[in-house]
Amino acid sequence: MTEPIESPAAEKRKAPAPSQRFKRRATLLKAPAEIWRARMLVRALAERELRALYKQAVLGVAWSVLTPVALMLVFTIFFQRVATIDTHGVPYSLFVYIGLIAWNFFSASLSTGGMSLVNQMHLVNKLKCPREVFPLAYMFVAAFNTVIAGLVLLVLFAVNGFAPKITSPVAILPLIVQLAFTLGVTLIVASVTVYLRDLRHALPILLQLGLLATPIAYGLDQIPENLQPLYSAVNPLGPVIDSYRATILYGTMPNWSLLGIGAVSSFVFLIAGIKLFRRLELGFADVA
Amino acid sequence: MLPDGSIQVRDLWKRFRADRQQRSFRDQFANLGRHRSEADRWRWVLQDIDLTLEPGDAVGLIGANGSGKSTLLKILTGVMYPYAGSLEVAGRVGALLEVRAGLHGDLSGRENIFLYGGLLGLSRAEVARRFDDIVEFSVLEDAIDRQVKFYSSGMQMRLGFSVAAFLEPNVLLVDEALAVGDAFFQQRCLDRMRDLLHQGTTLVLVSHDLAAVESVCTRGVWLKDGEVESDGDVRTALGHYRTWLDDAYHAWIDETSGEAVYRPGVIEVSKSEVGRVGGGFPRSQEAMVIDLVLESPTTIEGSLCLGITEGTASPIFIVSEDVTLSPGRNMLQCTIPHVPLAAGRYYLWLEFDGSRDDELHIPWQPTTAFGVEGRPLSRSPIGVMRVAAVQVDAEWHVGEQPEPA
Repeated sequence: MTEPIESPAAEKRKAPAPSQRFKRRATLLKAPAEIWRARMLVRALAERELRALYKQAVLGVAWSVLTPVALMLVFTIFFQRVATIDTHGVPYSLFVYIGLIAWNFFSASLSTGGMSLVNQMHLVNKLKCPREVFPLAYMFVAAFNTVIAGLVLLVLFAVNGFAPKITSPVAILPLIVQLAFTLGVTLIVASVTVYLRDLRHALPILLQLGLLATPIAYGLDQIPENLQPLYSAVNPLGPVIDSYRATILYGTMPNWSLLGIGAVSSFVFLIAGIKLFRRLELGFADVA
Repeated sequence: MLPDGSIQVRDLWKRFRADRQQRSFRDQFANLGRHRSEADRWRWVLQDIDLTLEPGDAVGLIGANGSGKSTLLKILTGVMYPYAGSLEVAGRVGALLEVRAGLHGDLSGRENIFLYGGLLGLSRAEVARRFDDIVEFSVLEDAIDRQVKFYSSGMQMRLGFSVAAFLEPNVLLVDEALAVGDAFFQQRCLDRMRDLLHQGTTLVLVSHDLAAVESVCTRGVWLKDGEVESDGDVRTALGHYRTWLDDAYHAWIDETSGEAVYRPGVIEVSKSEVGRVGGGFPRSQEAMVIDLVLESPTTIEGSLCLGITEGTASPIFIVSEDVTLSPGRNMLQCTIPHVPLAAGRYYLWLEFDGSRDDELHIPWQPTTAFGVEGRPLSRSPIGVMRVAAVQVDAEWHVGEQPEPA
């Protein structure tokens, strides 16, 4: 009926040249500023999660305490009675609980923060925001729960008639290492899960194994001495938990060389996590 | 650095996986042995898009479903990233991508306004200054402290648009979502967009409501299968797109013969022609004649209704006549002395319903397309979205009103 319209696109190439691939200009330096601008979103996400946690559940706050306490009791009964663990004179319940709350923070960050993108896809693919806010928000929730669970530690100190040692403030150093490691791994898990949904099912199993493979029920000294540096590099939580115990329970300084290895490894994980996340983020909205 | 409000898109490509299945371990294993070519696995949704917008430009993005409009808008918003090419959107970007885009269901309307403002880089005080405007425009005074998940979709759209349009964006991107609003709010949205355009905001509007696009935008970009098919003056681009739509969707016109393809009925329309009295194409304000031949099996009494439309089923005007058809071929001719149509393309629809048995012998359907020559449509008022393609003669007297004695 009508003459076809001359299409300027007809003679164009059918695929872009590799040199044209899209590159993101955002740098690592710009990211914190972007995230700072999105702090309200972080707060909103975290607040909602906490509200849901504490309003809708009958036991409310108790849940964040219950998991580590239950595990602490299990470990205390079994490991104390069945396999004797040398805690060098520190009450075993304290020894294990410090390890457990540290582990619980890591585990909770990973399981909720790791799923944050998949679970918030409706926001991820509609809202322009730095996507790091999603795992970050869940890390805040995990941190909040950890602080609540930490209150039980005070009870344990009182019950055992044991006081934290003067070196306790030094525990801030392993804490920084732990935060870096946790953030790095959470970013990796969160971004990879978007593409590999099976990770959702694999993660709980991996975390179960991690609970046993990390010196929580036992001390870092149970690992052969010549393997300890390698272990600290693979699992920085090992020297981190060991340092918490050293500073808070034993009144000694952390094993600096092992904590140092853990720290270097943690920051490698963190940088890798940030880079991988930024890279995979390019496709988040496509997969949703 | 481009000035705020500029958009520069160069050689933009975007592809999606052709198999949208989620990639589980199982799928990966299943596909391990099979080697599929790149072309099989990916589907291009945007191909080599170039687009340059200056501050204050108003661009309507049009195209059929799946042509890549929304994907392009998502990329401009920054929610999605392109596969190849470069892109720069300078300044604050306000976007209404989908009805609930950017709104957090668990937060109240008030909190959402501040949240969105924060993401745009506005301080709390800056948002607070515009807060009343947003609430007033969205007509949500009573609901502003309610959680957004309890809003109706119209309310969510109103809030979403108001937030995007009142937090002083340099670039405003609006997708289909406006269609959710009632006619009154849509009109206000269009007015607000015009206001923003006057203030130098750049607008990209995606819509299937071509009349709305025409009333706001000065430039039209037609995307077809992920490529820019037409880019230029809005009327030209819309014209190209409409012509294509006609060809694609009016499949009832046989492509080779140009004849209409009829739905079978009791009565067959074996001829329908529209022309000018004396031959040639109909002309505005001149006499037009419609020639029909209806083949009837028996004697049928009824009324014949003819309608001239712009393609849709809604006619611009109708004429009807009670007729009695005798068995065999019946010739009918209808003359309209002064055709009130502006120059353009029109369609003849008809219906024949029996007077006795209430039976529809020919259901309302198009039978032929025709062009009208003559005067183009007069300029429409800026606030009017849809103008009927009717051209009426008018006499004007413009002068001074004498003061009453």
